[in-house]
Amino acid sequence: MQANPDGGKHRTKQPTNSMTTGAADAGRSPLPDPPYWQGAAVVGLYRLGFLVLLILAWFWASQSVQRNIIPTPWATAEAAVKLIGEGRLPDALLSSLSVYFSGYLAAAICAIPIGLLMGAMRPVGKTLDVFVFALSATPRVAFIPLIIVLLGLGPQAKIFVVFLGAVMPIIINTYAGVLAADDELIEMARSVGAGKGRIFLRIVLPGALPFVVVGLRIGATIGLINTVVAELYTAVTGLGGLLAVYGNTFRMAEYFVIVLTLALIGVVVTEILRLIETRLGRWRQRS
Amino acid sequence: MSAGGLPRDTAASVAQAVLLEGVSKSFRSGKGSRTEALRDVTLSVPEGKFVTLLGPSGCGKTTLLRIVDGLIAPDIGRVEVYGSAPRPGPDIGLVFQSFRLIPWLTAQANVEFALRSLALSRPDRQAQAHEYLGLVGLTGFAQAYPAELSGGMKQRVALARALACEPRILLMDEPFASIDAQTRELMQVELMRLWARRKSAVLFVTHSVDEAIVLSDQIVLLGPRPGRVVESLDVDLDRPRWAYDTRSDARYVELRRYLSARMRDLVLADPQSEFFQREPTSTETAAPENEPTASGR
Ligand SMILES: Nc1ncnc2c1ncn2[C@@H]1O[C@H](COP(=O)(O)OP(=O)(O)OP(=O)(O)O)[C@@H](O)[C@H]1O
Ligand SMILES: [Mg+2]
Repeated sequence: MQANPDGGKHRTKQPTNSMTTGAADAGRSPLPDPPYWQGAAVVGLYRLGFLVLLILAWFWASQSVQRNIIPTPWATAEAAVKLIGEGRLPDALLSSLSVYFSGYLAAAICAIPIGLLMGAMRPVGKTLDVFVFALSATPRVAFIPLIIVLLGLGPQAKIFVVFLGAVMPIIINTYAGVLAADDELIEMARSVGAGKGRIFLRIVLPGALPFVVVGLRIGATIGLINTVVAELYTAVTGLGGLLAVYGNTFRMAEYFVIVLTLALIGVVVTEILRLIETRLGRWRQRS
Repeated sequence: MSAGGLPRDTAASVAQAVLLEGVSKSFRSGKGSRTEALRDVTLSVPEGKFVTLLGPSGCGKTTLLRIVDGLIAPDIGRVEVYGSAPRPGPDIGLVFQSFRLIPWLTAQANVEFALRSLALSRPDRQAQAHEYLGLVGLTGFAQAYPAELSGGMKQRVALARALACEPRILLMDEPFASIDAQTRELMQVELMRLWARRKSAVLFVTHSVDEAIVLSDQIVLLGPRPGRVVESLDVDLDRPRWAYDTRSDARYVELRRYLSARMRDLVLADPQSEFFQREPTSTETAAPENEPTASGR
């Protein structure tokens, strides 16, 4: 894809050739655009406000529901400090993240080429897509006993559960992205003499990219869910393990810390992918 | 004005850029039925001439250009571009009805994309793309993405892309149809200036009678369903036509009245048109329809 360091905003907007100054060139606003961070700052402020509302609601719930079921935000914060200080939270986090990222990365590396191949070679796609859809509709938890038999209870089994969860949405979305290629652009490329390879690299692939990123985002979410599922169903470790331990012993403050940590991982990963998505889509008109 | 069949040129020695003989093409449509897009079309574009295909919607104009570009093959008939079967590539420039710019590439990169089929070094390619963007007056917008350009500017990028390869023949499919009337007139003048620099053969498609007369050396009138050649006539107006008020020339007025009436008859006689037999065909009282009228010249 074309990287354009000074694309978009800072550009002379005067056509240089006066002969061709048509009506179409007129009507550009003389006012400078507001700096991009202004919009971002406002949204950030709204988000912060909503977060405060959530914490207030949490506090209210902790007071009105019968005691000890919902911990106060303060008790939760104390528990977090303690868990971090003891090193239990960082250890669990590290263990979970290594499972999560291994499985997710392996899924992305396998799924994108498979999806591209299915889209680029129609017979391959038509043969495989039914099976892909069937597999993605089957709850992956159903495979866990089989995976335990084959791979045991260790990290391999966990990574494979994550992989299975993340791989399907990435394949399906990549495949859909290739199929959604713009036929008119492809015909244009053919008409200027572009071969199959150039059409795939320069038209089909960039066109499919937004779909791939959507697949990666869905895959990231399912992968995180499956990380916890794997930690609960195989050898009890990581954040999922702590979740089970604290949940079963009614240590609700600690339990809440783990839940919030998982939510935070989800937010960070999807935000990074969203950032990639907007960077790739810079050619779209700013509104 | 000379109405009549082909070949129409007195000098048989004139080299033909495009030659179509007995070309037919039909498409499978919907439930097993077939749409006959073109039936037995014979026409030619002499070297260095500006020929326009004029016809109402659905008479196979786009299909014909795709055949001449070599994008699709006719069912039967002979197609030759400079003496051999057409192959899509830099020798034949095609400007599409919808601009078809690559949205994630800048104007400059869109033009360069077409130039990649030529054996040019990277700096040469960049320079040539820049030169042709300048020719259509878009030097200041070389780094703009299509989404940031107006309709007229997009079409100019598309024109620059087609011209940059310096094709031996230029095919243009209603390039100004989706542009407002004022910009369209300016674009027509600009096209004529560009064409006057280097007279390649042009096969231009339009459904606007005025556009056809203002631009062409020869007009081929097509009729719908099936698409076929109805008539072919010469335009004997002096060039350069931007230098005087073409639209008040007596020959222009006469040609315009005649072509408008023929176009109207073709639409009224088309069973698939919503205007079919809505009105008794009135060749004599053909009033100026909603074509852009002469202004600002
Ligand atoms: N790929 C295709 N598949 C099926 N039918 C087609 C195809 N291309 C064209 N046709 C049919 O052939 C006929 C002629 O189409 P074409 O697009 O060439 O007309 P046109 O003269 O360019 O029309 P317009 O002025 O609206 O652009 C139409 O009836 C159209 O439905
Ligand atoms: Mg058309």
